[in-house]
Amino acid sequence: MPLSKLWKRSLLVIVPMLVYASSSAQTPARIQKLSGMWSDPPVTIIGQFCAGWCTDAGMDRLNALLDEPANDKRSVGQLQNDAHTFERDKYIRPRLTAAALKNYPLDPADDPSFLRCEPYGLARQLIARHQLEIRESGKDRLDFHYGEWDVHRTIYLNVPNSRTSEASTRLGYSLGHWEGDTLVIETSGIKAGITPWQSQHSDQLRMVERYTRSEDGKTLTVAATMRDPWGLKEPVVVKHMWEWRPDQTIAPYDQCEIPKEIKRGTGQ
Amino acid sequence: MRRLPVLLLAVVLLLAIAATGLSHHAFSPVYDDTRQISVTGVVTQFKFVNPHAMMFMDVTDGTGKITRWTVEFSGRLNLSNVGWTEQSIKSGERVTVTGNPTHTGSDRMFFRKLVRSDGSELLPAAPQRQDTLEEERRQRALKRNQK
Repeated sequence: MPLSKLWKRSLLVIVPMLVYASSSAQTPARIQKLSGMWSDPPVTIIGQFCAGWCTDAGMDRLNALLDEPANDKRSVGQLQNDAHTFERDKYIRPRLTAAALKNYPLDPADDPSFLRCEPYGLARQLIARHQLEIRESGKDRLDFHYGEWDVHRTIYLNVPNSRTSEASTRLGYSLGHWEGDTLVIETSGIKAGITPWQSQHSDQLRMVERYTRSEDGKTLTVAATMRDPWGLKEPVVVKHMWEWRPDQTIAPYDQCEIPKEIKRGTGQ
Repeated sequence: MRRLPVLLLAVVLLLAIAATGLSHHAFSPVYDDTRQISVTGVVTQFKFVNPHAMMFMDVTDGTGKITRWTVEFSGRLNLSNVGWTEQSIKSGERVTVTGNPTHTGSDRMFFRKLVRSDGSELLPAAPQRQDTLEEERRQRALKRNQK
């Protein structure tokens, strides 16, 4: 084999290795930046608006409502409710397929988390209220520990997809990599379940989460892009926010009570 | 016009409920957010747990009959954020609790306010958060109007 050809072939192997090595070398510092205890968002208008889930469309609407002097006599809560209604009607609903619209919004009395104390699937777990503790749990592994339901999720970093089972699970199979200081997690293999906006999703759901810490270090934001050919005509991006709370710990979550009395059709 | 205060009260109540941080399930399939009731009795147990704190109390009626009431709260973290601990309510205390009744009228309610026999009160986190948000909005409007 001519030397130039050998050299070119070697480059094909060496370059990806160097990229991977450099990415791995930077990983501990990046993990440090996100590691620790995060909790409910700061008590600000936008923070509380995103205490569950929110969208850019909803935040823009809320800011427009706040900037309108005619709304000064209305409470912040009323404006937040208006903005949430807007994002459901103008952003979420037009993106739902006919199949998903059939049962949208789902009756809260049918929620398996309520009826049977079943922990959330990933689509709701990732935007769940309360704590998110991020720790390195091994070489190229992160542990996401959620206060809501006290559940753990493993993120495999900088590794090729080595998923061995085709069976879908509640939290799916998550692969992470870094784009600058942003942690990007791609998840597949998620069992059919419920979306944050109370529609059904299928096991074809794919999720890309992007986690970024604010410049002042006080908040962590995720923007999660959800794609589901069964339930969504186009991707939906939802956001959630946490506040840096190293003083907190996650308490046991072991007293979920199966309801004995339920009324259907009461709305959210 | 006479209906206006009632409507305003209903709106405030709904917003407070929306902000309770009732996390793992919706409020509405169990509790009636349009009504509030109060009962007085003796606390038998307070469980400072997740997903929702719970209190049990014995309520005695005029005939001497004792009924065991259950009071559901938001989660432990929500309550601890406003200073609650597992010692905030003690067994044996005589208290008056106000809350939303169930749709079925069972002996159960969702917590809104607790008054001890010495007059001291315990409140949920939501009203305190709302005050902070209203102040932020006032400051924002002030800046806007100064432009």
